[in-house]
Formats: sequence, structure tokens, C-alpha cells
Amino acid sequence: MAVRNIVKWRSGLLVLILLTCITVPAEAQSSRRNLEGMWSDPPPTAVGAFCAFACTDAGIDRLNALLDDPANDARPFEQLQAEAKTYEREYIRARLTPAALKTYPLDPADDPGFLRCEPWGLARQMFAPHQIEIRQRGNDRIELRYGEWDARRTIYMDDRKRPANPGPNRMGHSAGRWDGETLVVETSGIAANIAVWTDLNGTAEHSDQLRVTERYTRSKDGDTLLLTATMADPWSLREPVVMKKIWRWAPDQKITPYKDCERPTEFKRGVKR
Amino acid sequence: MKLLRAWLFVIPVLVLSVTGAISHHAFSPVYDEKRLITVVGVVTQFRFVNPHAMMFMDVTDDSSKVVKWTVEFAGRLNLSNVGWTADSIKSGERVTVTGNPTHTGSDRMFFRKLVRADGTELLPAGPQRLNAIEEERRQRALQRDQRK
Repeated sequence: MAVRNIVKWRSGLLVLILLTCITVPAEAQSSRRNLEGMWSDPPPTAVGAFCAFACTDAGIDRLNALLDDPANDARPFEQLQAEAKTYEREYIRARLTPAALKTYPLDPADDPGFLRCEPWGLARQMFAPHQIEIRQRGNDRIELRYGEWDARRTIYMDDRKRPANPGPNRMGHSAGRWDGETLVVETSGIAANIAVWTDLNGTAEHSDQLRVTERYTRSKDGDTLLLTATMADPWSLREPVVMKKIWRWAPDQKITPYKDCERPTEFKRGVKR
Repeated sequence: MKLLRAWLFVIPVLVLSVTGAISHHAFSPVYDEKRLITVVGVVTQFRFVNPHAMMFMDVTDDSSKVVKWTVEFAGRLNLSNVGWTADSIKSGERVTVTGNPTHTGSDRMFFRKLVRADGTELLPAGPQRLNAIEEERRQRALQRDQRK
């Protein structure tokens, strides 16, 4: 009887050891799955600065080519960044439909966020500079809070269907899932608004047909968060466009009240950069 | 209080933001990024708020008239990242401020640099980030030369 108990105990121990062996990598994985906490402006690197708002691989490649050319060593970084951004704006231009090209790039003086302090829609908010705070709420939701505009959105993780007839709204309806260590968020039902391509000097109109697939991945060292967003909108885009953004882990930062937006009293239309 | 003699000059210069000093709207409709101006005056209020921090100051012009100036900053979210607080600028302080003028030439500017009476400076995030990026460029050029 005693021998049988020892065998049982040893078998149980073996199972426990095996389970531990299996769960160690799972825990390591979950630490990178865990995006919770405060993130903020990108690292002070050339690519970080370039992607402070949003960027494309084409733009990053252009910037790197400029930085690698010895002929540019004496030129200020701002000049190279501006040149790569101009290139990126043209890259986007080639992917816009005639409908969107009619007003691209939109005059920043006509921006409702500027003129009327109107909060941004998803296609700008998800690339907003500064803080993004990510919090898990129960098992079925992740909440994102942005420093800019103190905007908030909910990502539903429980496969629920879109609410019946919700109508397009500013942030749309977001459903999320994990793909390995990457949080994938599919959003539709986004009201027609303004999309930011490159930066606030490279914006265009989008329709309520816009669908966005966001992929959030934490770096291996845990210090940076990368967003890769695929934007598809048959009204404004000839083909889906992939945008990127970087944040840096910033646990000490706080989002502070955002309630003092004032409508402009003076401005000029048509100023080109 | 004895009013301070103000001075103002305009420097044509190319100033481009590194991190997008203005976040919630573009810079270009209001301010001329190709010029800088400098004024000296006394701070009457500093508001450390979002989306843009604001400073109000009394500037005495050449005819001894006090002119109310407004200085707009990046947002609190941005300035906090480089250590600014609500006490970074105090009412009653004499300061020299450099910034981008408005297109209309009104008594308003977008902040680029502040020098206190004791010579200490306040800068936005851009220059600090630029220094780090320039160091990255030097290292990059060094590695490129070593590969040759």
C-alpha cells in the first residue's frame, strides 16, 4: 500500500514537473503577450523620430538611404527627415483614389480638430503622439487610453459580433485576438473622417468603408511597442496601405487632463511645408 | 514696478520639428516656421495644460507701452516628458523668449527657447532628442567608414 502511494506520489510529481516544463515557455510568452501599462513617445533614434506620428516601410527605407549616404553627413537631420517625409507623402499619393486625391493633402487649416477642437477619429487617434495606456479589463476586454485628446476605446476579446446596427462612429467597433505574442485588432464601423498618412501635413479623407487591422507587438527586450496597421478603404485607397508606429515603455508617465483646447483666433490657409 | 525695456528681433531661419511639437493640430496655419523672434518681458501667467501649455507676459515696447504677449507651447503631455512641471515658469519672472511668430504678426509666438534672468534655459523636447539622433548618426558614419 505504502509502495503504491509512493508510486502515485512520484507519478504525480512527474506530471507536475512535465507541466512546469510546459508552462515555463508559456509564461515567457505571456510576458511578451502582456502589453499592459503606459507607453509613450518613441526612443530618441532617427527612425523613432521619423515614426513619431506614423510611417511606412518605404519612408523608413528612404530615410535610411539618406542617412547611409556620406554626402548627407553634414546635412541636419531635420532636412533628411523632411525629405524622407516628402517621399513618403508621394508614396501615399500613388495609392490614393481620385476621390481622395481631390483634397490630398488636406489643408491643416481646415482640420476640424484645429478649427473646432473636434476629437480625432480612429484613423488618426491610433497614431497619436505621446501616451497610450493599455489595460486588460476582465477576460473579455482590453481598453486603450490615449494622452492626445484623452481618447478611449475598447477592444472586445470574446468573439462577440458587432452590435446590431450601431452605425458608424468615431472609433468604430474593435474585435481583438492573440496571434502568438501579437495582439491583433480588427476594426470596422468607423465613421468617415480624416486619416493621417505620415504626419499632420499629410492627411486625407477616408470613408465609412475603412477597415483597419492593427497588430501590436512588444519587443524582445520589452522596451518598445510596435504597431503595424493595415488600412483598407475602397473609397480612398487603390490598395491596402501598411502604416507603422513605435512607442517606448514609460511606466512613470501619466495622462493628464485634456480639457483646455481653444479654437484658433488667427490662422492662414494654404501654407505649404 | 519698473517696466522692462523690451526688445524684439526677427531672424530668418529654418526650423523643423523633430517630434511634432504641436500634436493635436499642424503648426503651419498659425506660425511661420521659417522665422524666429525674441522678446523680453515679465511672466504674468503660465498654464501647464493640454493640448498646449500657455504663457502670458508683459512686454514693454520701444514707446514704453506694455504689450500683452502670448506664448504657446507644446502640450503638457509633451513637456512632462522632458521634466517640465507647472512650476517651471513662475509669474513675475523676467524671461527672454524665442519662438516662431504668427503669420499675421500678432503679439503671439510658438515657444522654442526661454532664458531666465540667471541665464538658465528651458528648451522643448526637440533639441534633446536631436542630440541623441546626431550621436546615432556619428556612430553610424563611423561603422560605415570601418566597413570600407
